[in-house]
Amino acid sequence: MQTSSPSSSVQGLQQEFDQILSEPATENLKMDCTHKNDCLKMIQAILDGSSTEEQIQKLRNNLHTCQPCIKMYKLEKEIKELLSGKMEKKCCPDQLVASIKARILQFS
Amino acid sequence: MATIHEVMSDTPTRDDRDRTNGVTGPEQTLPEDSSADQVGAETPVRRYTDEQKYVVFNKEFMPHIDSMYNFAFRLTMDEDDANDLVQDTYLKAFRFISSFEQGTNAKAWLFRILKNSFINDYRKKSKEPAKVDYQDVETTYNSEDAETEHTVDLRAESVSDLIGDEVATALNSLPVDFRTVIILCDIEGFTYEEMAKILDIPIGTVRSRLHRARNLLKDKLRDYAASMGYKEESDE
Repeated sequence: MQTSSPSSSVQGLQQEFDQILSEPATENLKMDCTHKNDCLKMIQAILDGSSTEEQIQKLRNNLHTCQPCIKMYKLEKEIKELLSGKMEKKCCPDQLVASIKARILQFS
Repeated sequence: MATIHEVMSDTPTRDDRDRTNGVTGPEQTLPEDSSADQVGAETPVRRYTDEQKYVVFNKEFMPHIDSMYNFAFRLTMDEDDANDLVQDTYLKAFRFISSFEQGTNAKAWLFRILKNSFINDYRKKSKEPAKVDYQDVETTYNSEDAETEHTVDLRAESVSDLIGDEVATALNSLPVDFRTVIILCDIEGFTYEEMAKILDIPIGTVRSRLHRARNLLKDKLRDYAASMGYKEESDE
């Protein structure tokens, strides 16, 4: 079920999935399907570290056989990386830290 | 924007009451907005000495201040508002520190207080342009069209060259509830379970709100990518 600290296990999974994607695709790759939305939710749960073992196993299979899943996996991973890696992370101004500490001291 | 004094003035200070009454009863009521409610809410109230309070505050709360500030800034999109919101949150956290159990998830606990402060004190006066009613958006995206098939046609290669500012602008253009789940999940790395506690919503709602938020974000990113001259081609 839900894991409490997902980042390391997700990284391991991503390496495994990238390895699968670097291998030549099977000849009869499925090019379209009718339940992309469900698969997208599954892919998101996996990349978010909040998936089940069955979902992981299903994606493992689909990355060998299903073009929509491959495409969605790559996009979701890319967008997560954009958000976590490229956006500026604002740091708390030192002045605010000092102000909070000073006000806390007045409390007791 | 309200000054910190205005924000604080309507909130009774627990510490004052504690000192005058001596011992607080087991009912240990939470503030009306329940913003200092324990994440998980199943933990009994702790009694800390004054010294212990400062130790907990400095060791468990202060290390998260940069994440908290970033969250506040992404919610309010304004540095002064982020300042007020973070200060307000940390003061509340200190006053209600007895409902925090040492060693539990301080970051989630603090984020929950900040989120509640934002909703109660800031959101009404938010400078957000073109305010979209969340309910409307949720209804739209809950409609059958959206549920049956709404996958945004976009290729990973098309967005990989976007710069941080463009991603931030796309994110900022989302209604705040959608922006919030993306920040918590993709920037802060909370699990669905933690997000459910921070936002006081079921895990299923976390999952579907994230899904919709990302579809909206992809729509925005696709527009950016298109404006940069990338073309969405059909699958090779």
